Formats: sequence, structure tokens, C-alpha cells
Amino acid sequence: MFVKPFRYERASSVTEACALLREYDGEAKVIAGGQSLLPMINLGLVDPSAVVDISRIAGLDGVAERNGSLDVGALTRHRALEGDALVARHQPLLAEAVRSVGNTRVRNRGTLGGSLAHGDPAAELPLAMTVLEAEYEVSNGNATRTIAAGEFPLTYFTTQLAEDELLTGVRVPKLPAGWGWGFHEVSRRPGDFAVVAAAAVVRCRGGAIEDARVGLAGVSERPVRLTSVEAALAGVPVSQIEDVVGEVDAIEPITDTMASAGYRRRLARVLARRVLADACQRSEGAD
Amino acid sequence: MSADEIRTSKAEELRVVNRPLARHDAAEKIAGTTRYAADLALGGMLHARLVRSQVPSARLVRRDVSRALEVPGVVAVLVGEDVPHNEVWVDVPGQTTEVVALKASMQVLATERVRFHGEPIALVVTETEDSLAAACEAVDVEYDLLPGVFEPEDGLREGAPAVHDQGNLLAEWNIDRGDVDAAFARADVVVEGEYATQFVDHAYLEPEAGVAWMDDDGVLNIRVATQVVEHYRDVARILGVPDSKVRVIAPYVGGGFGGKEDMTVEPYLALAVAHTRRPVRMTWTRNESLLARAKRHRTKMRYRTAASRDGTILGQDVEITSDAGAYAYLSALVLLYSSVHACGPYRVDNVRVRSKTVYTNNPPTSAFRGFGGMQVVLGYESQMDELARELGLDPAEVRKRNSLRRGDVLPVGQPIETEVLLAETIDAVIERAGDKPVPRGPRRAVGRAIASNMQSYGRLVWLNDSAAAWVGFQLDGSLTVRCGVPDIGGGQASSLAQIASEILGVDMDDISVHFGDSALTPLAGTTTATRQLLMSGNAVYEAATMLRNQILGAVAAERDQPVGSFEMAPGEIAGVDQNVPLKQALMICRRRNVPIEALGTFYGPKGREVGRELHAERIFPDFTFGTHLVDLEIDLDTGQVRLLRYVASHDVGRAINPMIVEGQIAGGAVQGIGQALLEEVVMQEGVNMTGGFFQYLIPTAADVPDIESVIVESGEGLGPFGARGVGEPPIGPPAAAVAAAICDAVGARPTTLPITPERVPDCIDRGRSREGGTAA
Amino acid sequence: MTQDITVTLTVNGRTVTRAAGAHLSLLRWLRDVADVTDPKYGCGEGVCGACTVLVDGEPVSSCIVLAAQVDAAEVTTVAGLAGADGVLDGLQQAFLEHGAAQCGFCTPGMLMAATELVSRGVRLDRDTIRGELHGNLCRCTGYQAIVDAIASVAGGERG
Ligand code: FES
Ligand code: FES
Repeated sequence: MFVKPFRYERASSVTEACALLREYDGEAKVIAGGQSLLPMINLGLVDPSAVVDISRIAGLDGVAERNGSLDVGALTRHRALEGDALVARHQPLLAEAVRSVGNTRVRNRGTLGGSLAHGDPAAELPLAMTVLEAEYEVSNGNATRTIAAGEFPLTYFTTQLAEDELLTGVRVPKLPAGWGWGFHEVSRRPGDFAVVAAAAVVRCRGGAIEDARVGLAGVSERPVRLTSVEAALAGVPVSQIEDVVGEVDAIEPITDTMASAGYRRRLARVLARRVLADACQRSEGAD
Repeated sequence: MSADEIRTSKAEELRVVNRPLARHDAAEKIAGTTRYAADLALGGMLHARLVRSQVPSARLVRRDVSRALEVPGVVAVLVGEDVPHNEVWVDVPGQTTEVVALKASMQVLATERVRFHGEPIALVVTETEDSLAAACEAVDVEYDLLPGVFEPEDGLREGAPAVHDQGNLLAEWNIDRGDVDAAFARADVVVEGEYATQFVDHAYLEPEAGVAWMDDDGVLNIRVATQVVEHYRDVARILGVPDSKVRVIAPYVGGGFGGKEDMTVEPYLALAVAHTRRPVRMTWTRNESLLARAKRHRTKMRYRTAASRDGTILGQDVEITSDAGAYAYLSALVLLYSSVHACGPYRVDNVRVRSKTVYTNNPPTSAFRGFGGMQVVLGYESQMDELARELGLDPAEVRKRNSLRRGDVLPVGQPIETEVLLAETIDAVIERAGDKPVPRGPRRAVGRAIASNMQSYGRLVWLNDSAAAWVGFQLDGSLTVRCGVPDIGGGQASSLAQIASEILGVDMDDISVHFGDSALTPLAGTTTATRQLLMSGNAVYEAATMLRNQILGAVAAERDQPVGSFEMAPGEIAGVDQNVPLKQALMICRRRNVPIEALGTFYGPKGREVGRELHAERIFPDFTFGTHLVDLEIDLDTGQVRLLRYVASHDVGRAINPMIVEGQIAGGAVQGIGQALLEEVVMQEGVNMTGGFFQYLIPTAADVPDIESVIVESGEGLGPFGARGVGEPPIGPPAAAVAAAICDAVGARPTTLPITPERVPDCIDRGRSREGGTAA
Repeated sequence: MTQDITVTLTVNGRTVTRAAGAHLSLLRWLRDVADVTDPKYGCGEGVCGACTVLVDGEPVSSCIVLAAQVDAAEVTTVAGLAGADGVLDGLQQAFLEHGAAQCGFCTPGMLMAATELVSRGVRLDRDTIRGELHGNLCRCTGYQAIVDAIASVAGGERG
């Protein structure tokens, strides 16, 4: 609560925001909803010399349909995403994931871009984007680049964003016809950070899996896709998911005050099976 | 809303008492106009913050404040040498010097040695809150790390690092009653178990805070969120001034639960004001509150219980070890409560209790709702269930069979003098709950269990407890109550108004209660130990009764009629043939030199101080008994536990205000559920890992079901109108009930709190192998 | 290097303009600058909800929003719920009658969360109320009386 004073800069465009970030040379933090940054400042975990407020930059929020994708502005608030008709229709996994984020107040203020740029390895939205193979639009005010969701987070609270870059938008492919989805998380209390979260999208036909993507959050330094499980699932009858998803390797869970590494391993297995089962059921239902 | 259900014996004709009236402090709280400790701002006010130890055990090599003094806005930086008497004494009663010095001390600001992560080292005072962070950072502290003790067992080992020079054993208590070994020898069945409870934080919503200032006549005023205004004496001692020069005022407090029983911000505010002569405010952050304020004792318990085939308990052998943390605080007394309550609400004739509390380099531990009487519920109730299981008996029956009755003697030697309706509370929750639910899906299991408890109310009898209250009419017929009780949210002040209203016939709306002021209200003692209704309630009862008698006497004399022909009624004195309006009656008193005010003092039951070998004819005034029932469902894959239904019943003697009682029961039950399933102050080698509300998890509305309460009224309590205290008791049963319900669902019992989801799969596995074992 | 910044907010119908530290959270701005002390500090992490106020009708944690960010907004705190004559509104009255405030420290935030919840105009069963309120902690009541009070206004009375 007793924070060290910092300056407040309000940017009215992406160019201006990036210029400000360069001006402060790594000492400034971007703020949009502030729901991740301000708790950290209040706890004394970061003390920037300035915050650059991008929340009033025009044109960076909302969901639009483009070709086979949804374009979601980085400033789109969780609450808006949660209630968005396009998201509900074309990418219900995303709608479900965002419903699990924080509490009402966090969802009112928090933004999609803020959540993704925060780089929390247990967060729901980076996981969803990884499994959905979304792409992020990133700008430094002069040039833009596109980064695959799965490659964007690097490690705990660290992403590919350069110090003068902003995440401006996300392109989420629509869930193709015939695919089903699943999302589950275990948190200690509702609204808490996930201990482990899992997401999957699957195409089934005739009781067997044709194509599957499954990922986990909270089990490594960043969200992970279970690529070997995915490969092993091709052609597998739905009834045999349990056997294929055995011990989940390729994860490196840690022990913290929420859960032990061992319990996270258990959840990884249980939740991976559950999201796959749900996704298969929805896929079959969609046929 | 009235309580869910009230079962009354010994009904009385009551007008105001026993009714679910809105509390008289509620409207302001709901309107947002109540000014809590941190809400006060005074002209020219400074701000203060503590520099705290970053390590759990170290010698302080350097404390250099020179850089901090240069930070713009800094007015003063104080260290231990600036404190006139840099010591807070705590009595460790009943212990011989071979255990520990009879007094234990802690420095207000550490000078040479720090013993826990978060211990105060320096006090920074600044013009604005904005300089606090930079100023604290600029205080240069150099540590020479010392080995620490982090487990009580380690602290007792030969050659363990000494937390304090006099040794790591802070206190021990023994109870020996009957012949335990003989009881075990003739038992049909013996069950045993080890149980462990965790460090718990009070986590009230209002962090520690206060504002202090100097009066024109040199009295230091501290308006602070506290349960104990009598700490003015401790503050005076630290400053080296007469007691009369310090005044502590407790505004409405945003939750206490024992956490605001010891001093928090008081000495620091006092020092800052004494040094700067300006008003000062100090608010602890949530992080400071979680780091540094004393916690509930982590406790390990070993129980062995001997019984006959019909479930009658023959003997019990109990060992208790608690973690006293870095400083004594109230650990010795908390352990005494654990020891006295160790066998629970059951008659056990052969008992051995051995208990110890040990210094460690963990945060200090002290008072918390239940005060040591709470941890042992997990022990004795788990034993009751194991016994029932072993003998194939109904757990409810085993409890009823062994329930204490009036006249039975507790292991410590105190006879039970009031009627015990434990069995009624057991029946009440079971009847209310009806059928056990069925699992909602595959891979789920449901369980049901009950747990009972007893919890003392009122302070230890040798503390010579007393409470005073002043009740006076205004000339317009409205009423003023003055009583030193701090109101920590339990409706303490409101209950006093309700009692005065009952006796004097004054409308609740026409009563003002002035409370919690060590200088202006008659001292009423601490709002702790579930004592305020007993003590202040009786003091007000007494003062109001005296006042009533004065007025009735004056009116009777004036009218030349016997006193018995008048009684107090709303707005008037009702006579046999004629009523006298209240205002007129008050004028009669004035004319006849009869005071229209009265000071009542209530003295608690007395007894002699105990020694380390606990034996006393009386140790507590009385006890409250109750039973909780829980239904829960377990996800067999993830181990997640969901409570489906919760019913709680206590014999509260008489519910002065059923709405308040119901609130205490629901609040206590949910706090207990938090301790059962969620909460733990996690320490890693003395470093607190749960420094925020992100990590320290208290139950949300979505984590708990409705708490249905069944209030049982025996009319047998020692409080006014036969009330028993109900503040602490409801926190006792939940953890034991939840653990037992999990055992009911999966076949094996969790024995370590909190029962996080990851501890459940182990129970499932053990339950399976137990089943397998039986089958084979 | 403290930067002062002028912020104008309409707080409970009253327009307040103040120049104060740019780093101030809305909570500190309200409490220390505008002397609106009914929102409470409980954690500063956005977890407890004691600081909940409505900003343009939406509940936010005022401890993790900068005053500067919401410049020109309309802010409602619990002190703004009662009528000009001090008469409690329906939800406040329900809190009073059900004993939903014990220590009362969570109450200012709890009432603002509940106000927005009830304003959605849908009938709320007890489980929904519990689910929607999980961001507002109370350590005294066990939530029982709070859920009772909200249910009495928004539907599902206790069975
Ligand atoms: S103080 Fe803002 S959520 Fe706790
Ligand atoms: S009434 Fe005390 S925290 Fe809710």
C-alpha cells in the first residue's frame, strides 16, 4: 500500500506508448486494466518509475470476425470477452476460459492483452491461446510482428515482448466444424490462480480421435502443449483416452504454497483426460 | 431473520432480550459512516512504518539510519536505544524456574538479535505516506545469520540452537488423574492416533491500525483497533510515564478473533508521538499483518484412548506439543487451555496429559478464537470416531454415552456445575440434517460426520476478572451506558444496550453505548476468552438493576406505596393502580436525592492459581457445549472436497439476541472450515511464504454451504438471563467434523490440517487398502 | 519526483477535483485526498473486496486502479447508496434486518458488489449469489446473513 511514487503517462496511440516506453528506457511499465501490475506494485514486487496507460488508445478493443478467425483487440476486457456473441459461437473454449479468470472486479478491468503479456504460467488465457494456436500482433510503434501464441511466453512472467513493444491484438482461429473443446481447471478457491488448468480441442469421428490438441497451464514455466500425447491420440477410440494419457511427462511442475509438484502431476493427468473426454463428446455431438 | 431453530428449556417472559433485533451499531456500518481506526485523519498528522527483519534468526551487526534521515519527508527514525523501556513483559504463570523464567520479554524494537521474519527493528516517521517506502528501504540493517529452530521437536534436542538464552522449552503442563496404566490394562479396546494442526492467521478484514496524539494536558491518546484498552498500562511502562498519562480508545474494530489481543501498533504510535509531539497514524499492510502478528499455534497431538466394549471411555493418554514461535506472548496459557480441554466434553476418570510449548524461530503464536481449546477437538473427536469404528458402534451413541453431566469432574479436578445438553445438540443436528445425500456422479464419494466440543467461557479464575459498567438516565428519559468493553464486531456493545433495555424498559433506539475508552468508560477488561457477555453483560445487568431499584424505590416512597407495587415499563413506571411517566419519575428521584445513574461491577468466579501440575477445583467459570454435522462430497480423482450441508448446534444458555448468536455460529463455523480445508501460514525455514491474500486462503462465499444453526437454550449459563458465551465455541468442531466426514466417505482419516485436496488421495488409498485388508 | 496530477471524479453525486500524486490508487485518492473513507483497505491485492466501489456502474477494486486512470468517471461508494435524507436503500435495509454486518469492515465493499449484482435484474438463487460474491471476503459472518439479505432482495429466500 505504501508504494514509492511513480509517474503516470497516458498514451493516446500505440506509437506514443512505445515512444514513452523507449524514453523511460526499461523503467516504465505498461498499464491497461492494471489488475496484474498494481497488485505487484502494492506488494513492492516491482517499482517502476512510471506507468504508461494504454487503456484509452482507440481501436484496440472488441472482437471482429475476419475470414476463418476472430480478431480480438488487446484492450478487450475479460467481461466483454465473456459475453461476446462471436466468441460464444466460434470459440466457446475461450469464453469458458475467461469465465475462470479472477473475480468480477478483475474481469471488469482486466484486459486480454494484459493477461497474455503478464506471462503467468498458471493463467487461463495464455493456455487457451496456445491450444487454439492463436497469433499475437505485436508493435513497437514503427513496425509490427506476429508471434505464435505457443512461442510468446518464455518463462515465468517473461515473454517475447521487447521493452518498447506492445501486444496490440490476437487472431484466434475459429473452431472448425466437427471439432469439440474442453476446458477444466482446479484452483484452491473459485477465482484463484489455477493450480493446474487444461484445455483441448479434438476432432472425432465414429468414436475415434482424428486430431487432438491438448495443453496444460500451471505445470511448467509456461503453458505447454502435450505434443507426444497428441500424436499418440490419433486414431485412438474415445473409450481408450485414459490409457493413452498416462503419466504426463514433458512437464516440470513446482511446489509452492498452493500445491506440491506431485499433486500438480496428478492433476495434469486427471485434467488432461477430462478435457479430452469433454472435447470428444462435444465433437461427436457436433457431427 | 430469526435463527433457524431455537430449542428452549426454562423459558422466561422477556420483552427485548431473546429477540433477533437489528444491532444498534449496524445502521452506521451499513451506511458506511462508522469511523474505524484507520479512518481518522488529524491536522498535521505524521505517518509511521516499521523496518522489519528479513531473516528469521540473526545477530544485528549494524542498524544505520543516517541515509534514511536524509530521505525527503522523514521526520524521525527510531531504534531500540530510543525506547525508554525497550521491553514488553509477559507473565508465564504456573511454571517453575526450572522450566523457564517466570517472565518472558520481547523488545519493542530489536537491538542485538532478531528471532523471526518480520520482527520490528526500526520505526520510520514521515510527513507523508509517500516517503515511507523509500525511508524504510534506506535504513541499513546488516545481519549475521544464526542457525534457527524451525520445528519444536528440533528445539528440544540436545545441542539445538538456543532461541532464548534460558532454553527453548517455554512452558509445560501435566495432568494426572486416576490410574491411566491400569485403565489401559483392563480396556477391551485401545485406539490411538497422531494429529497435527497448522499455523493459522486471524485474517480479519481490518489490518492493524491506529492514530495517536498528545492532549493539551500531556495525556497520550491512542485510538486503535484493539481488543484490550487496558494495554494503556503496557504503553505507559514502555514510555516510562505514569499509567494515568496514557489513554487507549477502541473504536469499532474490524474483527479481532484474538489477533488484536496483544499489542500491535500501540507502542510504535506512542513512541512516534512522544518523539515528535505530533499526531501519528500507523496502518499495517496486509503483508505486515500476515508476517508479523502472532498466529494460532501449530500443534502436534498424540492420543491413546482406552475403552470398554460398550464404548465407555476408561482412560486417555495425551501428549501435546505446540510451537510457541519466537516470543512467549500467551503461548503458556494457550497450552494450558489445550491441556484442560484435552479430553473434550467427555467423562474420563483416568487421564494423563503431558504438554509442552517450545520456542522456535517461527512467527510468535498467541491468542486465536478457541485459544488452544480448539486444536484438541481434532484429537479427541478423531479418537471418539475411531473408537466407534473399532467397536462397530454409532459415533453419536458413543459420544452421548460418555457425555459429561452435571456433577462430573473434569480431569483437572473442576466439577461441572451447570446442566450439559451435549446430547441434545447431537440429536438436534442429526434430526435437522435428515438423510445423507448420494453422490452426484461416478468417481465421487459422499461422507457425513458429526463433531462435538466444549469450550470455556470467561477467564481463568485466578486472574480475578472483573468488569464495570455505568448506566444512567438522561432527564429526557433516554439512557446512556458506559462500559470499557471493546466492540470487535460481535455485537458486544449492542448486547449491553439490549440487556439495559430489557431491565429499564427503554427503547433500544433511545440508548447510547459509550465503550472501549480506558479513560472515560469504567474498565471492563478484555474482549477475549468469550468473556464479555459474562462479565460486561453481568455488570450492565447489575448496574441497570441497581438503577431500576433506585427509581422504583423513589417512586414508591413518593407515592407512599410498597416498592413491589411498581415496575419499569416502556416510557413509564407501571403501578398497581397508577402509572408514573418516566420523566416524572426521574424528577422525583432528583427531588429526593436519589441518583438516576448507577455503577455496577461484576466479579468473576475466583480460584487459586495453578502450578505446572494442573489440579484445581475450579479453573474456568463454565463451558459451552455444541455439535456440528457436515455432509461433503469428494472428487476421487482430484481430491477436491465440496461441503454440501452444514448444521451447527450449541447450548448457548440463553440467546440474548438470536441473530447475533446465529451470526457467531455461522462465522465461527466458516472460520473453522477454513482451518479444516484451506488455511495455512506456510513457513519455510522460518521464512513466511504466505505474505498476501493471494497466498493465505480464507473461505469465500462460494467455498461454503449455508450454515444452518440450531440454538439450544438450557438457561443454565452464568451470564445474564442464563446466557453462556458463544464467541469462541463454534470454531471448535468444523475441522474434526470435516476430517471425520472424509473418513466416512473414503475409509481413512486425514490427521493433518489443512486437508488440502492433495492430502485426500492418500486417504483414498489408505481407505482402499484398509477395505482390502478387512476383506482378506 | 512525485508527480501531481489533477483528477476530477463525481463521487456519490459530488464533483471533486484534486491535484494529487499520480501514483495514487483510487482507494487512496478517495480516502486520503477526498476524505471519502467508507471504502476500506484490506489487502491492496484486489483479493478481499473491502475497497470495492462502482466506477461508472461497474464494481472495481479501488486499491488496484489508479485514480488517474479513471479521471472523469462517476464513482459510487457505499455512502452514496442511502437517500439524501439518510434513508437506507432496499439492499442496505436487508443487510440491517438480516444482521449481515458484524464488524462491518467488509460491508462497504460487500454492499457495492451486491448492489451491482442485484442491479442486473435477474432472479438469483443462493448458489448464484455465493458464486458471484466469491471476490468479496468476510471473516465474521460466514456469509450466511449476507446471502440471506441479498436473496431476500433478489429472489430465492432460504428454504
Ligand atoms: S483492498 Fe482492494 S481488494 Fe483488498
Ligand atoms: S462483517 Fe467483519 S468482515 Fe464481514
